Amino acid sequence: MEDLLDISALIQLRVDGQFHELDVLPSRTLLDVLRDDLGKKGTHLGCKTGHCGACTVMIDGKVAKSCITMAATLSRAEITTIEGLADDDGSMHPIQQAFWDEAGLQCGYCAPGIVLSSLELIQNNHNPSTKDMEVALAGNLCRCTGYQSIKRSVTEACVRMYPEEK
Amino acid sequence: MSLHPMYARPRDLEQASELLASLSSGAVIIAGGQEIMPYINYGVMMPDVYVDIGGIDALRGVSAETDEVSIGPLTVHRDIQNIEEIVETLPLLAYAAKQIGGGMQVHNRGTIGGNIVAMHPLYDIAPALLALEADVELLSEKGSQRMSLAELQDLSNHGLGTSSILTKILVKPMSPTTLWGYYKLKNSAGAYGSANAAVVIQLDGENIKSIRVAIGAATEKVVVVSANLDSYLGGPYSSEVGLAIQKTCSDAIGEPLSDQQGDGVWRKAMAGVAARRATEMALGKLNNSSSNG
Repeated sequence: MEDLLDISALIQLRVDGQFHELDVLPSRTLLDVLRDDLGKKGTHLGCKTGHCGACTVMIDGKVAKSCITMAATLSRAEITTIEGLADDDGSMHPIQQAFWDEAGLQCGYCAPGIVLSSLELIQNNHNPSTKDMEVALAGNLCRCTGYQSIKRSVTEACVRMYPEEK
Repeated sequence: MSLHPMYARPRDLEQASELLASLSSGAVIIAGGQEIMPYINYGVMMPDVYVDIGGIDALRGVSAETDEVSIGPLTVHRDIQNIEEIVETLPLLAYAAKQIGGGMQVHNRGTIGGNIVAMHPLYDIAPALLALEADVELLSEKGSQRMSLAELQDLSNHGLGTSSILTKILVKPMSPTTLWGYYKLKNSAGAYGSANAAVVIQLDGENIKSIRVAIGAATEKVVVVSANLDSYLGGPYSSEVGLAIQKTCSDAIGEPLSDQQGDGVWRKAMAGVAARRATEMALGKLNNSSSNG
């Protein structure tokens, strides 16, 4: 059984479209790997307990808190961070533009997580109710912008992403 | 405890079981990681070995037979909420899974098995499963063993540890005539509950034929109230009966928890309130102002 034990784990991640093969120590979080190894500083460290949601990324298309995700457990995964949303030419994703235009962020610390949680919601539900937004954002804390403008931004993002359904 | 822990990803149950038996102490089992990573991040837990069971296919999947629903412990909360077989046969469990705190991110990664083996008094899955009289299947070096979740809860003080692996959650499907309710009294959307009550009721016409209540977040272990409620059987529900059920359930709370979710005296009282509101939800009598959605 000893041969099963290793001091590290080899993982394969496609992060914002780019493939990486990484040898990671156990107990390192996905957040550590994204920020320190891959330079993805757009993913923020907030609480390290899974409460605040500032570290939210998408793992295989579903939101997750990268600070409580052990990197070693992701043997193969597709990761989307906030930095993967904009176009190659730097133009913002419609949801980012909607947050910008509707003042959906003030200090911006929680914004990467809020935007990604909202994006998953909108991709699954093109016309979410206020209640749907509250459920989708229950894992993201914002202490300065206020949720009213965030909800307005989500509504506007739906219009921009799926105009034919409005 | 180790500053340089080791990592293992067994391929199957046999390998995982043998590995755990060969490790003397200091190992932890990890899957979604939502329970243990906060402890690891803050140095509260410093395991020598992480045994990652996330790659074991036998721990995945849900199958619903006529007499039993079998749930793989790696099933994440989001799937418990949405998989058709669970929503149709165990609507109480699907609803309770929606009440789990931490948001969609935790629902997407946290597993039903992790929620159960943590044996955390504030968690939402155990009250629902205990109200449904669920069984669990465990694998240890002694072999596979089936027991009721209530029995497992009695045996475990601080979680299941690594002496065995939870391999299946087994629940009898709810009959279409079974009424159910779940009420979580909480401060904010993503918060832990101060009292979580799950109720399963059978009616005979207007009269209560059976009622079983499981209350979490009030004491160290989930309290099941069933026999104490026998005096309400055979009669219809009324607001007076509701208040009496509330008192009976509150009285069943021996040593209430006293923590950030509220002090003990209040928790004992709220355990009864949550039980009454869950009962009202089951009977369609919960008014919207006190609904927790």
